[in-house]
Amino acid sequence: MTSIEKQSPPSGPEAPAASFASLFTFKSFRSRLVVFLLCLLLPVLGGIFYYVNQNNEEYTEETINTYLELGANVFDFTRQQQAYTLEAITGSLTWDFGFRAAYATNDPATLFDAALNVLERSLGIADMLMIADLDNQIIIDTELQGGEMLIGTWLELVQEADASEEGIAEKIVTIGEDPYQLIALPLYLPRQVAWIIGGFALDDGFVQQVSDTIVSDVSILRLQPGQPSEIVASTLITARQPILLGQLQTEADYFDNLQRIDFGDEEYTTLLRSLYQDPLSGGQILAAIQRSYDENNENVLQFRNLLIQFYSLVIVLSLIAVIYLARSITNPLSHLANAVKRIEAGDYAKQVAVRSKDELGELADSVNSMASGLAEKEKVRDLLGKVVSHQIAEELLSNPVELGGEERTATILFSDIRGFTSFCEDLPPQEVLEELNKVLSCISDIVEAHNGVVDKFQGDAVMALFGAPVSSRDDAVNAMAAGLKIIAEVGSAENPLSACVGINTGLVVAGNLGSANRLNYSVIGDAVNLAARLESLTRLYNVANIVSAASKAAAPDFVYRELDEVQVVGKSRSVSIYELVGTVDSVTPEKQAELALFAAALAAYRQQDWARAREQFTQLLETCDNRELHQVFLQRIKHYEDNSPGPDWQGVYTFDKK
Amino acid sequence: MMTQMFATHTRSSMLSGLIGFVLILFLFFCQSALGQDLRIELTDADGNALENAVIELVLPTELKSSYQSVLAEAIDQRDKEFVPAVTVVPSGSEINFPNSDDILHHVYSFSPAKNFNIPLYGQGENDSFVETFPEPGIVEIGCNIHDWMLAYIYVAESSLYALSGEDGVAVLFDLPAGEFSLRVWHPRAAASLEDLTQTVSLSSDNMTSFSLSLELQRDRRVRRAPGANRRRYR
Repeated sequence: MTSIEKQSPPSGPEAPAASFASLFTFKSFRSRLVVFLLCLLLPVLGGIFYYVNQNNEEYTEETINTYLELGANVFDFTRQQQAYTLEAITGSLTWDFGFRAAYATNDPATLFDAALNVLERSLGIADMLMIADLDNQIIIDTELQGGEMLIGTWLELVQEADASEEGIAEKIVTIGEDPYQLIALPLYLPRQVAWIIGGFALDDGFVQQVSDTIVSDVSILRLQPGQPSEIVASTLITARQPILLGQLQTEADYFDNLQRIDFGDEEYTTLLRSLYQDPLSGGQILAAIQRSYDENNENVLQFRNLLIQFYSLVIVLSLIAVIYLARSITNPLSHLANAVKRIEAGDYAKQVAVRSKDELGELADSVNSMASGLAEKEKVRDLLGKVVSHQIAEELLSNPVELGGEERTATILFSDIRGFTSFCEDLPPQEVLEELNKVLSCISDIVEAHNGVVDKFQGDAVMALFGAPVSSRDDAVNAMAAGLKIIAEVGSAENPLSACVGINTGLVVAGNLGSANRLNYSVIGDAVNLAARLESLTRLYNVANIVSAASKAAAPDFVYRELDEVQVVGKSRSVSIYELVGTVDSVTPEKQAELALFAAALAAYRQQDWARAREQFTQLLETCDNRELHQVFLQRIKHYEDNSPGPDWQGVYTFDKK
Repeated sequence: MMTQMFATHTRSSMLSGLIGFVLILFLFFCQSALGQDLRIELTDADGNALENAVIELVLPTELKSSYQSVLAEAIDQRDKEFVPAVTVVPSGSEINFPNSDDILHHVYSFSPAKNFNIPLYGQGENDSFVETFPEPGIVEIGCNIHDWMLAYIYVAESSLYALSGEDGVAVLFDLPAGEFSLRVWHPRAAASLEDLTQTVSLSSDNMTSFSLSLELQRDRRVRRAPGANRRRYR
């Protein structure tokens, strides 16, 4: 279901959200850190950059603005200054006695020459002179415009001068193609007799002079309604003049305000100033004072470039630092991950090489000590498995190891090796141990193969448990099978050794025995003791094994021979003991006949029918291999014939020593 | 020069021409009536007494000879000013221009009535030098060194003239009876000389007296400033 959902194409509004979310899902810690850093750094740097840039640009604007305002003021000042010079020149003319005399002669030709003379002497400050009498009649005009009376702007000029306190007025008037700055002042003789009007052209020479002073470009433009604007004078190179005309906004709103003119390769900030506006024609004379924005902005640009370089450096260094940082985290982490994987695979040997003193170092140390711990535990487990049986080891490891135990029914198998002592006599101890280990390993394997556990080795003896710590229904059956196998295996070897086995089933206490520091898992109880007794009884009866009635009852599917009923030392109750003959299949008819005869003989023995018992045991003695077993009973019969056990005797044989 | 000066007046005003003709006839018949006085109190538009105003009774040609005399006046130059500022003399009089200052002066006039020029001279020089003013008219004199120095010489046709004092009063004594033109002049009078010409009717044994208010205009002259700099940057 999940896979189907995954494969189906994304639909609905969740899709973009999911893809957006996936943008922030990182495969590596490093990219996460990098993105985090960039998310943190870029807005801050960007913000600073924006702020600084903004301020710088504002500053540049202000600077240019100031420059241009200053330029405009200087422009005005220069114009004014030149007007004053003009006034001085014109004024000095009126004080010139020769000129006064010439005026008094009423001779226009002389006056004209005198005026030209003055223009010549003015070193270019004055470009034209005009004299008109108080009736506005033009007496001379160096520009030879041809009028007889002052009209229009000229008339306004003298009227303005007449109305003024000092009798002086200024105006800009177009003469021919050029705008002229005019000044009108009275000619005293010694009372005013005429107006002298002086003028200088606002031409290239003038703008160049202003431009030299204010280090800005200056252009003078004329605007006539219905006609294209034209540049009268300019310090701009010729190629730029049409561009200025094309881009300049000449509406009154733009007067004394800044505007940008883009000359392609350079941008100029421009201040437009209205010099004169003709109220009649609407024509205007404008001055455009310009300064290269780029030139002024150069420092700002330089600073901006520096800032960008600095930012790049900061970002690169930060990225390197972050990547290094990420590495310093991810490298140890991947080391740790590999180490943990190795540990999972069971390789505890390699230590994680993280040499830092931070949390990662601590983690690595922890992993290392964990590995050591695990290695130790594994070693312990391994050792435990060798020292105790596997199941016991598991039991010990899985449950809290504490003193005490539980009652349970278990089958205990005791095995001993007969003939070992004599076998050892001729062998060096090393070989003895080798041989013993071989036999014990064999026994141990058989026990474990039958789901039993070896409780302990005691010299050449082995104690095995079936049903503890893990019990099953077939504990007794397993024990029987194991017993048969042990006897068969040990007996079949080339050495002259043989095994004898005692098996008992009963209630035992299973658990950890010993002290709090040193304990071992084992079982105790009467059932254990009995099993040991049974094993030792095998020598007496010269049988390979003896099992208790309880064990027989727990594993009824084998063939048994009841051997006796005995009361062992320390026990008040007697027990029936049996020899495990084998599986049903393995018992031959001859053996069955023998077993039947033995049973009959035992019955006669128990009924104190000594003669019959002797006869039968003797018969068995003569026909069977196991002479010792029957010899035991024949001796007892002989003993009882001499010392009657009494009528209450039930056939129980009491052992009074171990 | 005088006819030239007044020609514009007679040309422009037919009415005054007619009046002049009538006056001449009238005066011709009443010429024996002497001892008339004319007192005129001159004020400006605000009613302030007008000093340095000149009144002159214009006499018909036949009467002129009875009122001819010449004077020898002096216009001193003191503390870089002409003193007095206004001088009235009958035509043909002589005026001397002494220099009382310890610097040089250069007196000149480009007035049509008298164009003259006394180049630089100092104290004590030209003390006996006189200029004769034969033509009636107004002569504006200046100093070529000190532009603000300005004085007026009113050259009258006859001796029947008077200059108003500080009280603004100008009086003409022993006038013939009859109707005459009376010229009124002041350096700052806004109206032209012709427009200011009055007609007065003088009867015997009577003191004719009236007030006259003149509209003054701004004095178009160079002002004397205490400092050297006349102008400053606006």
